Amino acid sequence: MRRQTLLGYALILPSMAFFSAFYIYPVVYSFYLSFFTWDMLQPKRFIGLTNYRELLEAAEFREVLGNTLAYSVGVVVLAMGIGLALALLLNNRTALSSLFQACIFTSYIVSWVAVSLLWIWMLDPQYGLVNYVAGFLGVPPVDWLGNHRLALWSLVGVTVWKVIGYPMIIFLAGLQNISQDYYEAASLDGASAWHQFRYITWPLLAPTTVFLFITLTIATFQGFDIVNIMTQGGPVHATSIYVFYIYEQAFHYFRIGRASAAVIICFGLILALTYAQHRLFRRNVHYTQVG
Amino acid sequence: MRLQWIFILVLTALIGVGSALPAWAGEPITATFWYSYGGKVRQVTEDMVKKFNSSQTKYRIDGSFQGDYFQALAKIRAAITTKTAPTIFHVIGEAMPDLWQGGMFENLEPYVKSTGVKTEEFVQPLSQHGYFDYFGKSVPLFAIPFNRSMPVMYYNKDMLDAKGVKVPTSWDELRDAAAKLTVREGNDVKTWGFEVPVDWWFWHGLLYQAGGSLLSADGKKAAFRQKGGEALQYWVDMVNKQKIMKRPGGKDYNAWEVTNTDFITQKAAMIFTSTAFVNYLTENVKFKMGTAFLPKKEKFAAPTGGTFFVMIKDATPAQKEAGWAFIKWMSEPAQAIYWSQNTGYICTSEPAIKSAEMQKFYRDNPNYHVAYEQLKYAQRMPFTPALIRIQREAIQPNLEAPVIGLKTVDETMAAAEKVANDILAGK
Repeated sequence: MRRQTLLGYALILPSMAFFSAFYIYPVVYSFYLSFFTWDMLQPKRFIGLTNYRELLEAAEFREVLGNTLAYSVGVVVLAMGIGLALALLLNNRTALSSLFQACIFTSYIVSWVAVSLLWIWMLDPQYGLVNYVAGFLGVPPVDWLGNHRLALWSLVGVTVWKVIGYPMIIFLAGLQNISQDYYEAASLDGASAWHQFRYITWPLLAPTTVFLFITLTIATFQGFDIVNIMTQGGPVHATSIYVFYIYEQAFHYFRIGRASAAVIICFGLILALTYAQHRLFRRNVHYTQVG
Repeated sequence: MRLQWIFILVLTALIGVGSALPAWAGEPITATFWYSYGGKVRQVTEDMVKKFNSSQTKYRIDGSFQGDYFQALAKIRAAITTKTAPTIFHVIGEAMPDLWQGGMFENLEPYVKSTGVKTEEFVQPLSQHGYFDYFGKSVPLFAIPFNRSMPVMYYNKDMLDAKGVKVPTSWDELRDAAAKLTVREGNDVKTWGFEVPVDWWFWHGLLYQAGGSLLSADGKKAAFRQKGGEALQYWVDMVNKQKIMKRPGGKDYNAWEVTNTDFITQKAAMIFTSTAFVNYLTENVKFKMGTAFLPKKEKFAAPTGGTFFVMIKDATPAQKEAGWAFIKWMSEPAQAIYWSQNTGYICTSEPAIKSAEMQKFYRDNPNYHVAYEQLKYAQRMPFTPALIRIQREAIQPNLEAPVIGLKTVDETMAAAEKVANDILAGK
């Protein structure tokens, strides 16, 4: 028994070592650094909570929080809504449906860098495909990434396009876990398609929905590549979202302490968000036993 | 159980042998070199590194690309912290005072003396001592000019001729010319008269043309608010009032690329960009292209830009020896000529410029010579560690807001001045 326990620990040791070195240690070290001012050249200087105070007082930081929230809500709502709609449409075992699923999922496994570069061209105000097609419909050319009111929403659109395969597949798995018996019984009782969705599909999908909601929210809070490649946070700060802001403070301005403080605030925010989501949904989630 | 242990042992042994492979006897002394060029310039750099390595057997340079200037700056700091920095790299002038103060660079004076390099033969405004205003302090030589440039005006000669427009030499003339060259079709603009990245470098030129200066005479306070505001207002009006200037989208070097593309595709008739693109633009435009000085307001003025070679203090003496051999070789007239002709960067060696080869080249390609002539109006940069922060935090992120219409020029310059003064005060 004891030997077995030891062996168990020995077996997880490599991944624990990796996890500690690349996840736990950096978070702890960031926490430490957040009390210093440091430019990676001169010696660190302890300044207590100044970094936190300056961050919370900075108008740009509040702007960044607002951008991140808008980006997150936009992506989560649209990706889940469209993902669910696609899953419902493609929830059958025909070859055509499999083909569509594969096509839609492809963009999810393509790297962010490739997707971002592709969309820079697609959205180019002069030479881009999007404005070219819109031109046929009589829409005047739009500066998707250069207009400060539009830029963030253009990024939301690209993100949804990129990740949509993920909620679709997870919803599909959720849908296929729901026993057909319920639908048969319901249609015998004369339930309409809407009623079947409202009273069978939606409640039984709840665990899937919660899972997607949490993972997508965290993923959007960690968004970085798309901003770094497509807009670098501009025009002005219109598309500066959280992780990009941290990167900018650390590696453009070399304010390592301030960047670390932002990391810790982000860590706290995601922790609180996850906890709140768990609390909120625990009461309303129906777990179903199939089979 | 036993099998597992054997597996682990073998694996450990393999890794051990792999990392402890002895260096071959008789290997050349190697130095690492980080560079930050894209496209054509990267190719030229890589060719020159190859040429150096095959021209002799004593030294070897291992070059590697590290992203654009600013990405490379971030990597170099991280590399210093983790003791994995290269032997030599090249760095933009604005970042040098901060890095020098941080103790990153090797003092190059002993190298210059022991190998007989004549620093007076560098084109002076492009050299370290010609580039900086030290405010009376004495600073040793730690940087050797390499890819040094200036902003110049490029114009589409065919378009100017078709409209009978003379090459503008003042702000007013530029505005009038841009108005004449702008072609509209309904609400669409088919050709923009003028385009320039809304960027620190060009703004800095305009600031001095307007008779302003970045810092006060003692270098302790920001002094750009009023004249810098005039410079910015000039752009803001051309973009929003007269609608004859295009603001290229994208931040940092993305906007530069957009500007070049618009010029090549004849979407813009006149642009400001670096002389470093002379070669690239000459090869890609399908019209007669001319270059000229940046127009004046009170006076002609333009900053110099680009980078210098520097050496990392932490490198070993052997690495430094190899690194210096490469820097010295690169600054020799033959290489300076090759580099300049193939890129458009200003030739940094006076003997090279006076050579028959270069003189003939300038006669055949007058566009390459304009920046060199403009050097007589080059401005110095203040030698203060705050310089790079003022550029990156106070000026660059603020310039766009009034052009987009988010803030007034006054608000922007007041905010930039406050940030700059905070930085100068060490905050």
